[in-house]
Formats: sequence, structure tokens, C-alpha cells
Amino acid sequence: MSIRRTTLASRVGLPVAVAALLVFTLFPVYWMISTALDPKASLRGSDVLPSGISFEHFTYVFDKGNFGTYLLNSALVGLATIVAAGLLSLFAAIAVARFKFRFRTSVLIMILIVQMVPLEALVIPLFIQMRDYDMLNSLLGLSVVYIALSLPFAIWTLRGFVATVPKEVEEAAYIDGASWPRMFWSVLLPLVAPGLVATSIFAFITAWNEFVFAYTFMKGSDKYTAAVGIYQFFGENSTAWGPVMASSTLVTLPVMIFFVVIHRKLGSGLAAGAVKG
Amino acid sequence: MKETLVEGGPEAPARRGPPKSDGGAESARRRKKLVTLTRPWLLLAPSLLVLAGLLLWPLIQVGKLSMQDYEVKFGGGVGTFTGFDHYTDLLSSSLLWKTVLPNTVFFAIACVGLTVALGTLVALLLNRLGAFWRLICSIAILAAWAMPAVTGTYVWIWLFQPQDGMVSQIAGSLGLIDPETTNWFTERGPFYAIATLNVIHHGFPFVAITVLAGLMTIPKELYEAGELDGANAWQRFWNITVPTIKPVFLVVTILSTIWDFKVFTQIYLQPGGDGSNEDVYNLGVFSYIQAFAKNDYGTGAAAAVLLTVLLLLITVVYIRTLFRQGEEDL
Repeated sequence: MSIRRTTLASRVGLPVAVAALLVFTLFPVYWMISTALDPKASLRGSDVLPSGISFEHFTYVFDKGNFGTYLLNSALVGLATIVAAGLLSLFAAIAVARFKFRFRTSVLIMILIVQMVPLEALVIPLFIQMRDYDMLNSLLGLSVVYIALSLPFAIWTLRGFVATVPKEVEEAAYIDGASWPRMFWSVLLPLVAPGLVATSIFAFITAWNEFVFAYTFMKGSDKYTAAVGIYQFFGENSTAWGPVMASSTLVTLPVMIFFVVIHRKLGSGLAAGAVKG
Repeated sequence: MKETLVEGGPEAPARRGPPKSDGGAESARRRKKLVTLTRPWLLLAPSLLVLAGLLLWPLIQVGKLSMQDYEVKFGGGVGTFTGFDHYTDLLSSSLLWKTVLPNTVFFAIACVGLTVALGTLVALLLNRLGAFWRLICSIAILAAWAMPAVTGTYVWIWLFQPQDGMVSQIAGSLGLIDPETTNWFTERGPFYAIATLNVIHHGFPFVAITVLAGLMTIPKELYEAGELDGANAWQRFWNITVPTIKPVFLVVTILSTIWDFKVFTQIYLQPGGDGSNEDVYNLGVFSYIQAFAKNDYGTGAAAAVLLTVLLLLITVVYIRTLFRQGEEDL
């Protein structure tokens, strides 16, 4: 009795649930891309299919909107963030996962606490500091902020990865006479590489997606990042939806490709963290 | 991910140096001790410097600013100490109690509740699907997750745009609203309903994937035993699933709470959210507008401190939960 009910429920219920999930998750993505391609974007209304396919909004955002520069700015800032945050967080993660020292727990708790600080609390003093040191409108200044923002999370994640490398592997390397730097390079690094990839991607996405700091600090329009660059097409009363959605697509697609490519690693990374729970 | 925190974290052992050579040389041993003492700090130093300079120091500064009237002067700013004036003004304003705090708190509660509920349902669904459909659904979830807050917000605005937005037109053609006169964004309720939809769409994938990872660790035998005992689906969920992966639920709930209290971009970008409509202020937007649109850095800083204190209280709960669930300490 109960078995038959289960099969009936799965025959009807599962496909309905899957369909609902797919519509809810993908419709906004579809709507963004199809509006970007629709030459009559702003008149779409409730037409589910675009009135035609054209790339005119994409060429418009590059030609008139300077969007190429913004994408490049975002990529530069993201790259700087990956490299610096990856390196610094790896060192810190090794320190907290491998060594026992005084104030270790305090350091970990401090890292946890600074992660909770709301951006809006930081944006006011950082803006004043940056202005006083003439660092507004500087891609370097923005990168440094993003490095700080990605660090706590990266340290916590990598700490888990470093901790899962068996101590015996390291000890075996020592017995074979390896020095610490050598052990780091040829034993530890390859083993934590998946974790490093995961944290780097998250650091990159933090920098790529961030809006508040970029919007507040970057006022010279050739210094915008892509996430802020969309704002210029957005008007309170008359919005050019074609360019807004075309530039949104350009910001979103790289992240989506990233996520899909690494989704296995992402899953195992998440699982590695949650399994013990 | 953040849920690495779920682990109690194995106690980091003191690293054992290379096997003792001869053990006779006192100075060598002392040097080794010095290296052991300083090495972790050398490794930590760059990170701690960055965190102290860019997160901790500004946090102290915002506390200082909140007790000042700050004026921008040529070549820098000048602060005049005003004590707790900004706080008393803020805490006695009806805008805070009638608009800003209710918006912040109710919005966060709605977002957290719905995100965790939907995320859990989707995790349960994924757990029952075959490999193929699980992959398809996972990729769809990733797409929602990967959509940046900024672009996601623009899409939701476009869908609900007065007159020519898709939802407005459909609701108009069904006779529910008059699309010529209805503006979803001018009133608190609809404004925050749209923002909630946006935050859930962006936030539930994290919950779904984390809970799924937890679900996969539950032994099937538990459910078989439950079924033999005649437990129905709800009872099996409530008495087996929830207790077994309770730590996962705790962490995703607390993390979502922290994130949803400080939602800024999604509110600021919605029409009227940039300060032109006081009814839709939340604490973050209020702080930002005071500082950057009204040049009242002191009040902005006081609001920022208030938000930080709220989040710190939640963080304390978070840390205590982590400590309690780890077998050993951090």
C-alpha cells in the first residue's frame, strides 16, 4: 500500500517538482539572455520568445558604453585578488592547521568575526581613508579591499583542506630527508591544490560581482568595474533594457561557465566541509 | 566553503620536526625552538596585516566616526567630537523603529526561512533523482547561484517593471492590476516581496547543495528501519534526517541570517531603493544614504555600528554553535 503510493507520488510528483525547479532557477537567466538578443527589448512585455535575434545591444555596450574597458578592469582586479588572496590564505591556513601555538584559537575567532562585518560599516571609513591617501579611482586600491574581503573565507576553507592532508605523508617526506620548503612544494601543495582552486574561484567571484565598494570608490567612468558599468544603462524612468541585459549577460556568463566547469570540484569541496557535520 | 566550519576541526598537532639528529647541541635545539615559535606567526603575518588594516582598523574608525560630526574640508576631513548624540538621535527617530528596523528584520526572517525551506526541499528532491536528472538540476541551481547579485536584481526589476515588465503585463491581462498605474516598487510590501524573491533565487542553491552533501552521509539503513517501523515520509524526515544533519541546518541557517541582515545591493538597485523612497530603507541602505548622499557621516556610521552589533550578536551564536558541535575545540 505504502509502496504503491510512493511510486504514484514519484511518477507525478517528481517530474512536476523537477519542472518547477528548472523554471524557477533558469527563467531569469533565460529572460536576461533573450532580452539581450531581442532587437525590440524594451517592448517585450509578456512575449516569451524574443521578436528576433540580433547582437546590436552587445555591440552597443562595447561601442557606446565602454564595456570592454570595464570587463578588463574587473578581470584585472579579479586576477590580483586570486593571486594575493590564494597565497596569503594558504600560508595562514598552514599556520592554523599545522602548528600549535599560543593564541591560535583567538586568531581563528578573530578571523571568523571580521568575516561578519557588514560592508556598509566598512565602506564609510575606507572611503575616507582612500580619499585621504588619494587611492580613490585606483584599481590597486580596490583589489586590496577585495583581497581583505576574500581572506577570512579562504583561510577557513583552506584550513579544512590542509587539515585533511595526513600528517604521515609529511612525516614520510621528512624521513626521506626533505626540507620544509621542499615538503611544502612537492607534498603539501599538490594535495591542497583542489582547495586552492576552489578558494581562488570564490575570491575571483567576490571581486567580479562586488558592487558597493566599486560603485563608491570608482567615480572616473573609465575605472568602473563591469558590475558597476551596467548601472549607466539603467535609468529611473526610461531604461534601455537591451543594453542593461546585454551587459548583465556579459557579467554573468563567465561566472556561470566557471561554476559549470568546476561543479564537480565545487560539490566535493562543499562535501569535504559538510561531511563531518 | 563556509561550511568547512561544520567540522570541529581536528586538533592541529604540533608539527614534528625531522627526526632528532644527535640531540647534543644545545644551541641548535634552542634555534629550533625559536623557529617553531615564530614560524606560524610568520605565515600568518601577511594575512593578519591585511585583515587588521582593511577590516579591523576601519571598524574602529567607524566607531570613532559615529561619535563625531565629520566635515569634509580641503585636503581631508575634520571631526568634531559629539559623544553619543548620533546614537540618541538615531534611537529616538521614528524612522528607525517604524521603517528601517522592521524592514531589515522582517525581510531577513522571510528570506532565511524561505531560503532554508526551499533549499532543503530541493536537496531532498536531488537526493531522490537519478544521476542524469540530478546533474541537470544541479547545473540549473548553479546557474541561479552564479548569477551576480547585481545582474540578478536587474532581471527581477525588468520582470516586474511597471507597464512593460512581463509580470505586470500578465497580471494586467488577467485583470489583477491595471498595468498603467500599478508600480510594484513604490510600496514596502511589494518592494520587499520582489527583493525576497531575488534573494531566495540567489541564496537557496548554497543551502540545497550543502544540505544534499549532508543527506548523502546518512546511512540508508536508518530509513529502511524507519520504514519498517511504519514511519511516513514526514516522520522519517523529522525524526531521522533532521537530527542526523542538525549541524548542517544550524550552519546554513546562521550563515543565511548573517547574509540576509546585510543585503544591500538588491535593495539599493531596485527603483526607489537608492534613498529616494524612505519607506523602503533597510539599515544598510539607510547608513549608506546618510553618509554618501546626505554627507552626514556621523549618523551613517552610527547606523553602521548598530548593524555591526546586530551581526556580532548573531556571530556569537554562530561561534558557540561551532564550539559545541566540534568534539574538540577549534
